[in-house]
Amino acid sequence: MPTGTYTEEVVCVQRTGTLYDVLELILDRGMVIDVFVRVSLVGIEILKIDARIVVASVDTYLRFAEACNRLDLEFDRSKTVPELLGGIAGGGGGPAGRMATGLGKKKAKKAVGGLGEKVKKAVGADGDEEEEEGEEGEEAEAERESRPRRRTAATAARSRRSASPSEGS
Amino acid sequence: MTAPRSVYVYGVVRASHAVPPGRAGVGERPAPLRTLPAGALAAVISDAPDRLRAKRRDLLAHQDLALALAADGPVLPMRFGMVAPDEESVRRQLLSSQQECLVALERVDGRVEMNLKALPTETGLDALVREDPQVSRLRTAARRAPGYEASVRLGEAVARGLERRASAAAAVVLAELSAVADAEVHGPRVEGCVLNVSFLLDRREQRRFRGVVERFAAGHRDRVELRLTGPLPCYSFAEGRV
Repeated sequence: MPTGTYTEEVVCVQRTGTLYDVLELILDRGMVIDVFVRVSLVGIEILKIDARIVVASVDTYLRFAEACNRLDLEFDRSKTVPELLGGIAGGGGGPAGRMATGLGKKKAKKAVGGLGEKVKKAVGADGDEEEEEGEEGEEAEAERESRPRRRTAATAARSRRSASPSEGS
Repeated sequence: MTAPRSVYVYGVVRASHAVPPGRAGVGERPAPLRTLPAGALAAVISDAPDRLRAKRRDLLAHQDLALALAADGPVLPMRFGMVAPDEESVRRQLLSSQQECLVALERVDGRVEMNLKALPTETGLDALVREDPQVSRLRTAARRAPGYEASVRLGEAVARGLERRASAAAAVVLAELSAVADAEVHGPRVEGCVLNVSFLLDRREQRRFRGVVERFAAGHRDRVELRLTGPLPCYSFAEGRV
């Protein structure tokens, strides 16, 4: 029951076991007893990694700018950022199109990379506990995979296939 | 002479509340869970692991136990990572704050926490470009003289614009949800979110609450992305410092 109690059917959202979305509640909310010692936790250092976010933000700005420039307001009213980005290497379902999908995914991953790292740090998969590295590493990776951008990349791949009938090679 | 063993504290419950069977605590090799009675209250504890990190496994163990406990009665979940030097100090603390804890337990009895996060969405990009004069001006400028500077400025304006649209929509859904919930508390700021708020609501209102969120999300998907998580232990409503 417990880990399965997260709401997954909310529209617009696809998530699997999302610890990520409540990390800040577990770490920063809940009862505190003053005389208790809060053990030194790597995860509590989470805020110190915020510098990464700045980098991730600029990545996002550039992505938006790129998408905006590709936006053709007269002829196409339905494109989203990842779709537009995907179009860089030429749309369509041929090899070029598939390449574009890969490209979009990579970019999307890069944009959220900072956050992924943050989570990885928070869940402690940072490599100095070798005996658990295998399992934890995978889990942290899975967490990163569940970030929402991936969803947009996947959506882009899907809708591009249906959106550009003429360019397919 | 051996030093008293330090204990990890998961939460505070009423004295009559038992630990559900088959649950494990934190740590690589979790120590057995037990309750530590103190007056009308009890703390749910285990021996503290030698080393504790905020690992996914441990965070989940902490959270799952609080959820499992909540199935049998109210729980005040501790913040993750609370370790007391020994049982005696836990007992003393509980006795000295018994009244406040009982009031807090009453407050969360039969209720759950639902957390809602609102994020800007990219699907409204073309509407933004059309409607936002600054974005449209910067877009023209970036097309005329492309380059890193122009792109960052344009992209930044877009990000701000999308955030503004999301914030406005989030304020509306917040007002709707407040009418269903018993209480609400704004959570810590979370990167990328325009709203992070936790609601305390009657267990039986969950379906209705979720319905409001889903309807709103569906009707405003070009403005805001909503992420609803829960039911959660009542972290945000057990926040008393004792």
